[in-house]
Amino acid sequence: MKTIIRNVAFGLLGLSVSAATVAGPEEDRKAFQKFYENRFPDTPVNDFQNGVYSILPSAREQWEAIEEFPPYELFIEEGEKIYHRKFANGKSLADCFGPEGAVRNQYPQWDAEREMVVTMELAINECLEANGEKPLKYKKGAMTEVTSYMSYNSRGQEINVVIPDDPKALAAYEDGKEHFYTKRGQLNFACADCHMYTAGALYRADTTSPAFGHATSWPVFRSKWQDMGTLHRRFAGCHKNIRAKPYKAQGEEYRNLEYFVSYMSNGLEFNGPAARK
Amino acid sequence: MKFVKTTAAVLALTATPFAFAGNGTTAEHIQEAEAAFKQVAAETSYQWTVAENAIKAAKKALEAGNDAEARNQAHRAMDLVEATKLQATLESEAWKMRVPK
Repeated sequence: MKTIIRNVAFGLLGLSVSAATVAGPEEDRKAFQKFYENRFPDTPVNDFQNGVYSILPSAREQWEAIEEFPPYELFIEEGEKIYHRKFANGKSLADCFGPEGAVRNQYPQWDAEREMVVTMELAINECLEANGEKPLKYKKGAMTEVTSYMSYNSRGQEINVVIPDDPKALAAYEDGKEHFYTKRGQLNFACADCHMYTAGALYRADTTSPAFGHATSWPVFRSKWQDMGTLHRRFAGCHKNIRAKPYKAQGEEYRNLEYFVSYMSNGLEFNGPAARK
Repeated sequence: MKFVKTTAAVLALTATPFAFAGNGTTAEHIQEAEAAFKQVAAETSYQWTVAENAIKAAKKALEAGNDAEARNQAHRAMDLVEATKLQATLESEAWKMRVPK
């Protein structure tokens, strides 16, 4: 254990510690996207919305074949039923999100009144609860069916997350940013380690995906899960992998992380639901 | 200046580690490890699954009457909590170096 502590301490002390330039979200986003354009010069910028398949030609053909008969199709159909199912009060989710629920590009959004980031999943549950219905679980199940339907109807919308000129919104963004670049867990990994600085590298048998585009395709049918899952389910899985205890799905930590990650992908198209390895 | 601050933080941490109070019982050591785990979680939001697992293993071993194993796991948990705290302290500044400019 002393060796671990010593290695962590000296590893960090060995880095050149310099004052971090405080940059605004837009400067951050430009530098972030530029990083991936330089690292993967053969990938057209718009193709980053396809996750790891944007940088992994060997797996792309197989993925495209899967997308021809997508494993999430039934989830979209079930989601459509839930979406239009009448609540006890006679209303439905359509009363909150419109006839088709094509509102993916409105989330995540800053709620100035409540001073918090609101994701689409949170908004769905708030709609349900406001109408006297039971909320859905956040990681899988019916929630992924509803969001599959809503995301499918939102395909092609551009990610356009707004960080308003509000210190509290900026603080939420900065919190998500810090989370992304901070090492955690016994394995001492940051999101940025796997999905930025070594994106495209093999970790055991898996190639890590670029974080640019991470926000586009949710919910996702993962072959590993044999099921659909939300972005926060994936966040939790990543944390478990590095031996960090995951945060609560739709808790403040993950909502702020989603806010940052989504903002970094501004300009790409929403293309969920999707299939992933 | 940041280097000096980071070095000072590391030295301060290594100088004031979590420690078991005297020659307590194994049950007391487990309680202390769990309290330290919760304290670090509350102060930093950092929690390592392996530390939590070691605390659970210590409790299980104690219930099974295996005092030596329980004590060993409690001490392992405390070491992991200490490393968690060190990581949180160092990362409070170090993350900024990873932001592309």
